[in-house]
Amino acid sequence: MLALLQNETLKLLRRRRFAIVLGILTAILLLVSYSQYRILHERAKRNWRAELQERVARAENALRRGRMNPSWARSVRAEIGRLQFYLDHDIDPEKPNVPRFVRTFANVAGFLLLPLLVSVLGSDIVSAENAEGTDKLLLTRPVRRWKILAAKLVTLWMFATLTLICGALISLIVSSAVLPTHGWTEPTFNGFQLAKNAVRIDTVRQLPLWRDALIAYGLEWYALIAVASIALMLSVLFKSSAASIGTMLAALIGGTILTRISPDWTAGKYLFISALPLADYYTGEPPPYDGMTMTFCLLLLAAWAAGAIIVAFTLFTRRDVFG
Amino acid sequence: MKSITGLSTITPTLIAEHLTKVIGDRTIVDDVSFEIFQGEVFGFLGPNGAGKTTTIRMLVGLIKPTAGRVIICGHDVRRDFEKAMRCIGCIVETPDLYRFMSGRENLAHFARMLGVDARDIERVASLVNLEHRLDQRVGTYSLGMRQRLGIAQALLGHPKLLILDEPANGLDPAGIREIRELLRRLARDEAMSVFVSSHLLAEIELTCDRVAIIHKGRILRAGPVRDLISKRRAMEFRVSDTARAAEIIGNGTTIEGDRVIVPIEESAAPPIVAALTGAGIDVYRVAPNKQTLEEMFLEATGGETVG
Repeated sequence: MLALLQNETLKLLRRRRFAIVLGILTAILLLVSYSQYRILHERAKRNWRAELQERVARAENALRRGRMNPSWARSVRAEIGRLQFYLDHDIDPEKPNVPRFVRTFANVAGFLLLPLLVSVLGSDIVSAENAEGTDKLLLTRPVRRWKILAAKLVTLWMFATLTLICGALISLIVSSAVLPTHGWTEPTFNGFQLAKNAVRIDTVRQLPLWRDALIAYGLEWYALIAVASIALMLSVLFKSSAASIGTMLAALIGGTILTRISPDWTAGKYLFISALPLADYYTGEPPPYDGMTMTFCLLLLAAWAAGAIIVAFTLFTRRDVFG
Repeated sequence: MKSITGLSTITPTLIAEHLTKVIGDRTIVDDVSFEIFQGEVFGFLGPNGAGKTTTIRMLVGLIKPTAGRVIICGHDVRRDFEKAMRCIGCIVETPDLYRFMSGRENLAHFARMLGVDARDIERVASLVNLEHRLDQRVGTYSLGMRQRLGIAQALLGHPKLLILDEPANGLDPAGIREIRELLRRLARDEAMSVFVSSHLLAEIELTCDRVAIIHKGRILRAGPVRDLISKRRAMEFRVSDTARAAEIIGNGTTIEGDRVIVPIEESAAPPIVAALTGAGIDVYRVAPNKQTLEEMFLEATGGETVG
């Protein structure tokens, strides 16, 4: 099995797919870092302390007037606490810095960019062998077909993981060149949830940024493993690499459009695209459909991945290989 | 083990039993049976589209037969895939290897799947005279070189049976002869069984010990190449007056252009030459009639073209 993994890794690297992925990541992150650098410069002219103090004062006034329902009051108090923390520690919460940049990358890229890059890696892992005719040799060696496909799946999982790690590292390196690097321990407040008429704060978590980032990246990794499994299935289903990459692209973009345009069609919550922005939901952005708790999303992605793997293995081990 | 064709009682390296492949309502391969024995070169002759490649794909487990089975070295390909595949090396249809990797990386890739070490890579590369180009990308190889690399990967791990689909494709005459000699040598010195498909009669005639002729998915004839030819052995005489020569030689002769074809053995030729020169006919050339296998094939297939 180790030999098979070595083979698949070698082929993936030699096809230069991973080099393309790293190139795209670097290009995008350079551009975003530069824009953050411009923002940093503009903020330098503003008095952020005064702005924050004014926001704290306004919130305190509202509390003193006291016509707020209790849960709303609690969330306002949480907000005051957060702002006060920044004032006490002399941290500008909106000033771009490296930790925030790296942390935000998990949310922003996790929803479309990283799934797309993983499908670029994975969509031709089987179909290219078919298109290039090399499957005739690969499948006539004394190795059962399921083992070959398992090696491809594990290789894909490894590279999906590597893509995420490289994304985090590149965002760290690129942003370090232009943004301040401190701030890993500043607090983050995540998990705001909408109750009937107020923001629920009993669900709010306060974590140091580095731990919060680890959780966000962990969720993102989970989503990418599911995407990689689905990419493998598409690669088995389609003979041409273009068809499998195209289908994955259409699913990602089409699914996103669907959740935006017809949020009333609640069956949409069972699409894997709906559950993909796990890091966003963790941060507190409401999912597009009711009833999409974190557990639901995690189970949904697991179900899609398992289904895709079953279809891929069933087809791959049984089908006739023609030219 | 009971032999289907009754040729031998030794366990064959490969047994194909009643292989049939039906796709939709088309029967592509129809009840094909044959055996290949240790140390022999077996030819699979037929025009393009006769079912050669589909049969080969069933032999190596790429396609599931609709009926019938394949036994390699005593292992059923469908039930004991890994053991059966360990006995063979093959090229199916075209020698497609990974173009984005070097020849050496390709061989290493397949060597890892077999669990054989790097020394074997050097061995197979030198067998096909490819050592000096091994570190270049396969994408830069000519078709002939890819064919050699394909044969090299098939030879990895000392297989008992080599299955080659049209190995002469893309090779120049010198290359074809080289491969032919390699195959003969492997069969003779290493007791390897070799299965070669081709649509070229001359190639099969020169390379193989036994041949099966396939057409429209059915085996028309099978047997030792020499037998199939000797049944219709003939000599041709190029003479100054074909009509008179045919008259003198007598029954069974046919006239083709400036030659008279006589169905006799080579040893029977001198008296005929004497008789012809005695009658004042000039004899320019006496040679074995080369087209016997082709004629036989045309006869068997009802005159359809080959290749």
